[in-house]
Amino acid sequence: MKLFSKNAFRDSTLLLVVAAIWIFFQFMTEGTFLTQRNLVLLALQTSIVSLAAISAVMLIVTRNFDLSVGSAVALVGVVVANLTVKHDVHPAVAVAAALATGVAMGAWQGVWVTRMGVSSFIVTLAGMLYFRGMSMIVTDGSTIAPLPDSLADLATGFMAPAPAITLLVLGLVTLAAFQVMGARRGRELGVINQVGPAVARALAPFVVGAAAMAWLASRQGIPYLVLLVAVAAILAEIVMRRTPFGVQLYAIGGNPEAARLSGIRLNRVVFINFLIAGLAYGVTGVALTARVGGAVAGSAGLFLELDAISAAIIGGTSLTGGRGRVFGALVGALLMGSLNNGMSLMNVPTFYQETARGVVLLLAVAADQLRRKRRNTS
Amino acid sequence: MKASPLHVTPAPLLTATGIVKRFPGVLALDRMDLAIDEGEIVALLGQNGAGKSTIMQILAGVHPHGSYEGQIALGGKPFTATTVRQARAQGIALVAQEVNVVAELSVAENMFLGDEPTRFGFLDEPARVARARTALAGFGVDVDARASMASLDLATQQLVSIAAALAKDVRLLILDEPTAALTDKEAQLLFERMRALKARGVSCIFVSHRLAEVFAIADRIVVMRDGRVSGVYAGHPESRDEVVRAMLGGAIAEGDARGARSATAAPIALEVRELVVRDADGARRPLVSGLDLSIAKGEILGLFGLLGAGCGEAALAIFGAWDGPVTGRVLVNGQEARITRPSDAVGRGIGLIAQDRRQALVHEHTVAENIVMATLPSVTRRGFLDVAAMRRLAADYVKRLAIKVPTIDTQVGTLSGGNQQKVQVARWLASGAKILLLVDPTRGIDVGTRHEINALWRQLAAEGHALLLISSEAEELVDVCDRALVLRNGVLAGEVGRAELTEERLLRMAAGV
Repeated sequence: MKLFSKNAFRDSTLLLVVAAIWIFFQFMTEGTFLTQRNLVLLALQTSIVSLAAISAVMLIVTRNFDLSVGSAVALVGVVVANLTVKHDVHPAVAVAAALATGVAMGAWQGVWVTRMGVSSFIVTLAGMLYFRGMSMIVTDGSTIAPLPDSLADLATGFMAPAPAITLLVLGLVTLAAFQVMGARRGRELGVINQVGPAVARALAPFVVGAAAMAWLASRQGIPYLVLLVAVAAILAEIVMRRTPFGVQLYAIGGNPEAARLSGIRLNRVVFINFLIAGLAYGVTGVALTARVGGAVAGSAGLFLELDAISAAIIGGTSLTGGRGRVFGALVGALLMGSLNNGMSLMNVPTFYQETARGVVLLLAVAADQLRRKRRNTS
Repeated sequence: MKASPLHVTPAPLLTATGIVKRFPGVLALDRMDLAIDEGEIVALLGQNGAGKSTIMQILAGVHPHGSYEGQIALGGKPFTATTVRQARAQGIALVAQEVNVVAELSVAENMFLGDEPTRFGFLDEPARVARARTALAGFGVDVDARASMASLDLATQQLVSIAAALAKDVRLLILDEPTAALTDKEAQLLFERMRALKARGVSCIFVSHRLAEVFAIADRIVVMRDGRVSGVYAGHPESRDEVVRAMLGGAIAEGDARGARSATAAPIALEVRELVVRDADGARRPLVSGLDLSIAKGEILGLFGLLGAGCGEAALAIFGAWDGPVTGRVLVNGQEARITRPSDAVGRGIGLIAQDRRQALVHEHTVAENIVMATLPSVTRRGFLDVAAMRRLAADYVKRLAIKVPTIDTQVGTLSGGNQQKVQVARWLASGAKILLLVDPTRGIDVGTRHEINALWRQLAAEGHALLLISSEAEELVDVCDRALVLRNGVLAGEVGRAELTEERLLRMAAGV
């Protein structure tokens, strides 16, 4: 048994692209790009898009789109800022209210998609308009700030190096334990020949990732926001790959008719999918508001939906459904974030940055398409 | 009622009485009765639209209890499943007609879709793979449970679907045209499996259009017409004529009206020389090696071969639609034609009617729109569609090909398979095609309509078109072709003239015995 299958290398083309971009910026910025300080900043800058991209993957896999993310996040921000700043509500209560608001928005859109049969594209396009409108109405277009420190710390605070690295190691050990248990069971059932290589192969990427994180954390720790992204991604990955619900998401996107005939209740699954998207509005909204330090109804989360969808697509999610990975979307978000960060370091004017990002998006997806075609014919 | 001690009547597993099912504008089932004994294999026959799929979907829980009238009892208890899951929990499993799989998922994932094994609420991947392996091995399918579904061919996907249905506790297995995608050998394997299930007391309902296999396996044959049972027959060959008559509703076409065609040499319409077709990776042996063929105007040439013989690939290659490397020469009306793209072929007056009607027709569009799709320039005036001309053209073809449609504005998706096929033919004829390549054109089309389609081929030939008919069913070729070529592993195995054209001859030649 080889440690890496041929496919593992093929799947990592995206990582190679990111690596190439990093090396390019490393040269162009004379060594400032690949410093712990800048990489932590990059992770922070990417975090909001990453959170939105996770839920984008889950929706796109079932052939649904969410164009309302940016506006929904702004509205959640208005809720949390209004409660804490204007009504002196305890931050924990305000966060709970914000999450509930998010879920309610998700449920609202889910009802339109599943009960009324309106395409999610339209439902969320409408949502994009009226969620933003409502945020403006409530705030009258003005900014609500400053947030209480305990809330702002959520986005600006760091977990100190020692506990952060301990947490990483613990996480890795837990993951390894689950892998070993799974592999042992696989061997019992005659599905896997040897436990060792199977576990090693599954763990390798995580060990590399954790090592990189540990190195980053060794300077000033890990931002809470990045931890939040990691937790959300792991939970989403577990839901998508390790629960029947997840398989059903893929099945619905891949072949709705086959899914229906298998007894899967399409509407129910899609509705739950929108509830999860709603929860993501809540989490992303709170995170964004905390990071900005207040609610800016007019500009908070502007174009977030497009960034999230781009990240998902660059990360290998198929627009026609049935295919997509959460971790891929994170790498996609990282790719887009790296471009922003690197070009800013190089003092490239914003107009050029936008143009470059557009071109990269197009090239990345075209390259992926080409690779897939070649794989299918060989 | 007392049963005599020597005569053990098997208990009826399922009885359905007075089932009525309406769809908007259609009465799909009209007081249908059906009873199935334990361990009985029942074949359900009938033309398309007779209601076979509807009754099967009702039993499988696709149409929920309450959406139809009438009573169903399973094992003596009322059967009221409102979902597929409930029906399956009670032991009824349906394998759908079209191979209906999620290509993006693995074999094991597909097999337990909607019924994933879990441990503590989480997916139990090892158990899923292990159970999938057991089920595949039990059914004799040699496939890696972890392989992606997309990597399997149609027939294997079908076998996997059946194996998946059998992996669960099944009392009644419903198979909607299970053999349509299978080779004879695979079909035999399926029948063996069905007999084994029968011995275990599992009942089975299946639909097939291949009469021979129906008589080989079924205990009882139920013929449906217009939403009702029009006859029930014992499953032995003596009832064959009666069964066919019951399906057609009396109007059986006796013999072929085809007269002996004049043997005068008509000019050659299509000539193919040294055709070599390779897989896209180019590495393996050619799928078709060195095929020569020629079709005269007004001739129907058959091309026969077992699965994998290369017949379909040859047609796609001639049409310029094959993905991999192709060499050879194609002459149309004696002139060299360089065909590298389908549009080249269309420009030369060649049309292709492929296996999958779904891909070739735009279901949401009307009959008229589908017919003129390839002829748009001829119904365009000053850059705008000439709607009147378009409708006249469409109406002409609807009449000429006897396409049964309420109006030419009917959506194609609502038509039966046979009529959809005719719409495709109309499109090619409208675009001026003189040479038609037909790849399994009657697949999934019932016997009655098949007669009609076959008559259409003869009509087209009589009008001077040249037809290449590829079919996996020898019977069809024997019925219509003037001449047939047989391919074996991509190589021409022989040619059979009209006089010696029999099913046996074709099959022997194709199998090399």
